[in-house]
Amino acid sequence: MSQQTLGFIIGALFGAGLFWGGLADPDKIIGMLRLKDFHALRTIAVFIIVGMLGTWILDLAGLAHYNVKPAFILSMLIGGALLGIGFGLTGYCPGTGLACLAAGRIDALITVLGMFAGALVFILIYPSVAQPLEAIANYGKVRLWEITVIPQWLWVVGIVLITTFLLILTRPRGRKNSV
Amino acid sequence: MAELSVRRAPLVWWAGGIFLGLVQVLAVGLADPLGVSTQFVIADTQVLGKIDNSYVQQHPLIGQEKYQKIGYGWWLDIGILAGAFFAALVTLRWRLRCSTVWWRATHGPSVAGRFLAGFIGGFLVLLGARFAHGCTSGQFASGWAQLSLAAVPFTLTMLIFGILTAFITYRKVPQIEK
Repeated sequence: MSQQTLGFIIGALFGAGLFWGGLADPDKIIGMLRLKDFHALRTIAVFIIVGMLGTWILDLAGLAHYNVKPAFILSMLIGGALLGIGFGLTGYCPGTGLACLAAGRIDALITVLGMFAGALVFILIYPSVAQPLEAIANYGKVRLWEITVIPQWLWVVGIVLITTFLLILTRPRGRKNSV
Repeated sequence: MAELSVRRAPLVWWAGGIFLGLVQVLAVGLADPLGVSTQFVIADTQVLGKIDNSYVQQHPLIGQEKYQKIGYGWWLDIGILAGAFFAALVTLRWRLRCSTVWWRATHGPSVAGRFLAGFIGGFLVLLGARFAHGCTSGQFASGWAQLSLAAVPFTLTMLIFGILTAFITYRKVPQIEK
């Protein structure tokens, strides 16, 4: 199978999953960030646990394709902050923005147009602003167990425990024990 | 028609989470971890290349081959559009709409404000995603799946600023279907 076909199939499953899971719904995302509706948080917690465990198993079998991002700490902090502001303002991120646009949301189309503008400005300021920032506190493409004394399995167990604690903390209360 | 309360998601949290987690495992096993935002730079690069190709070729970022190649990641984004369209159709939830329940609860029915905030928000999301070399998919979801160091500072500020901005922007809480 060609890389294009594979990309399309995985993307289609991802887009459908984002929609069915309620992540491609800005009301569910804002409900999570407003700490009022924990559906999206719980879905994301399970998404992370399954993704991490699966990647670990594939890794043990020697089958994982890693694409670890370089850890430019300052650039990551700034990027997370800017993305967080946009995310909290709209309830969209790049993946769910595209998915919501496909589900008929005109405001998501406007947000996606804003994303193209954001990408353009990034290209224009990259040589003068972003590239110098990346040189500050650059730890390279490392994984947590490679820069700490804590082994890989303990990181996996620790994160499973933390996310499980989050799931217990945000469990649905009241009589109806559904979502 | 405008909805009055936030609807329940099609799938319960654990089912949606397992589905998405398995898609991630499939991506890591067969090709490359999930990621979305790089393609916005690639799309812009395609346009810039038509306008001034020498600028593109000399650029320290988009002069690189990976920003000029239409491949796996590009088709993944096209796939998201197709998959979400299909998913919305089969759950009978495909509908044209301009605003959201949370937005109307605080800001009323006018869509102009929603569009303006939407454009600015989208701008900041992608700008931030590129400073971080990834968005909520490539940096957050795939970052934690791979236990990368870069995901830690990114997650920290994304959550702090996301929560703060949502509290400032959406002051009134609408009805939420349980």
